[in-house]
Amino acid sequence: MIRRAGTSPPPWRPVRWFAPAIGIVTFLALWEGFVRWRDIRPFVLTAPTDIVRYLGRAPGDFAEASLLTARHALVGFVVALVASIGLGALLSTSRFLERAVQPVLVLVQVAPFVAYISSIVLWLGYGDPPVHFVTAFVCVPAFTFATVAGMRSADPSSRELLASVDTPRWEVMWRLRLPSAMPSLFTTARYNTGLALIAAYLVEGSNFADAGLGAIGKRFAANNIGDGLWATVFCMVVLGTVALGLIGLFERWLLHWHASQRSLA
Amino acid sequence: MSVDVTLHGVAKSFGSLPVVQPIDLDVAPGTFVSLVGPSGCGKSTLLRLVAGLEQVSAGTVTIGGASPAELRAHKRLAVVPQQPGLLPWRTVAENARLLLEVNRRHSPTRHPDPAELLDEVGLTEFLDAYPHELSGGMRQRVALVRGFSLGAPLVLMDEPFAALDEITRAEMRELLARMLDRHPATVLFVTHSMAEAAYLSDRVLVMSPRPTAVVADVAIGFPRPRRDALEDTPEFAAVCAELRHHLHGAMR
Repeated sequence: MIRRAGTSPPPWRPVRWFAPAIGIVTFLALWEGFVRWRDIRPFVLTAPTDIVRYLGRAPGDFAEASLLTARHALVGFVVALVASIGLGALLSTSRFLERAVQPVLVLVQVAPFVAYISSIVLWLGYGDPPVHFVTAFVCVPAFTFATVAGMRSADPSSRELLASVDTPRWEVMWRLRLPSAMPSLFTTARYNTGLALIAAYLVEGSNFADAGLGAIGKRFAANNIGDGLWATVFCMVVLGTVALGLIGLFERWLLHWHASQRSLA
Repeated sequence: MSVDVTLHGVAKSFGSLPVVQPIDLDVAPGTFVSLVGPSGCGKSTLLRLVAGLEQVSAGTVTIGGASPAELRAHKRLAVVPQQPGLLPWRTVAENARLLLEVNRRHSPTRHPDPAELLDEVGLTEFLDAYPHELSGGMRQRVALVRGFSLGAPLVLMDEPFAALDEITRAEMRELLARMLDRHPATVLFVTHSMAEAAYLSDRVLVMSPRPTAVVADVAIGFPRPRRDALEDTPEFAAVCAELRHHLHGAMR
């Protein structure tokens, strides 16, 4: 029986865990030391121990806000992914369509969404809708570009092979082009994870709702509560780390066949 | 199960650049025909014209009385490309079944069992392996099986062994000869190798550089089944020399 790359566990090497742990602990220690040494105001920079202490004062509230922000980001992310795969599949069939739509997507990608959040809130009202909308909206361009590039990269030999038995277009899409787009979609998913979380945080802070990390962060900032603000930053970092970890797991499962997932050992 | 192939004045040009000069060709059912010629002489283009994957500029291709498009629509035509074109996310067994699974409505009712074909080429132990776990020769064997899985009466092969080392190529040509003994078909086979052409073919067409024309049509009469020992005979060497002579003539 052949050992399958990707399904077999990687050899346990202490350095895999040890090195990153040392890196993070060193970073936190320098941070803590710097804040104590220069006696920096909490609003400018809060020491890690103070952040943890502040979180400890209302762990339930922070957990609840984190879950809401995670849900906002996830909904936007998934809506964007599904819409982009559809849009990308359409664009990959026609150079004309691609050329026509590409500049619009670039505009969306480079427009500073922070600047138009209030307009979206005015348009869609308070609560979830503007958060979901902006989060999805900002993730669409990168996902669409990844879909188009990935689908175009489908192996020419395989395309010709499928053409030799008159494979219908949708089947070529489903069996060849979509799987070919998976590697670039995963790469983009990592980038869009950060974008989706940031968008969710910022819109939460602007949509006059009172829930979500962005909303409570905004309140802390307005009331000059530095350690509270930094506690929301800490929660965002945790969310991002968990999200990237999950994407890594999905990738190992779905892309076990791809060169990027094979260990060099 | 095999068909005759007829090319009548088939020509191809890209814009004003002629690539294939008008060619007339009759291939009897069950014949193995090799196309040899210098690189870039349009052999592959001719193969694609026969498959209808490229439109002819003039002339007609008829395969068993039907057009290439009709053959493709009924999955009666198998292609074995130079690059194996295996899908990396499919196992060996799944890749071998690919052509049967797509456009399934038109799959032939009777066809060889891909699992048995994989057994014939010695890949039984690798059914669940992925392409990246295989050697180049093994990948090309999967591509052969995938081609034969349709039981198509016409098989078009475009330098299928070109990327392999010499030892593996020799193995592959014997393997292909054995498969054709069991699953007869008309074959058009593009190659650079005189030995490959002489070993496998009933007929070898020597092509000129672009625009492509047939400069020699050599019948190869070695009895079948052919096996390895054939390559060591003086008759075999003589045929290879004759082919090489025609090729050099074509390139002058």
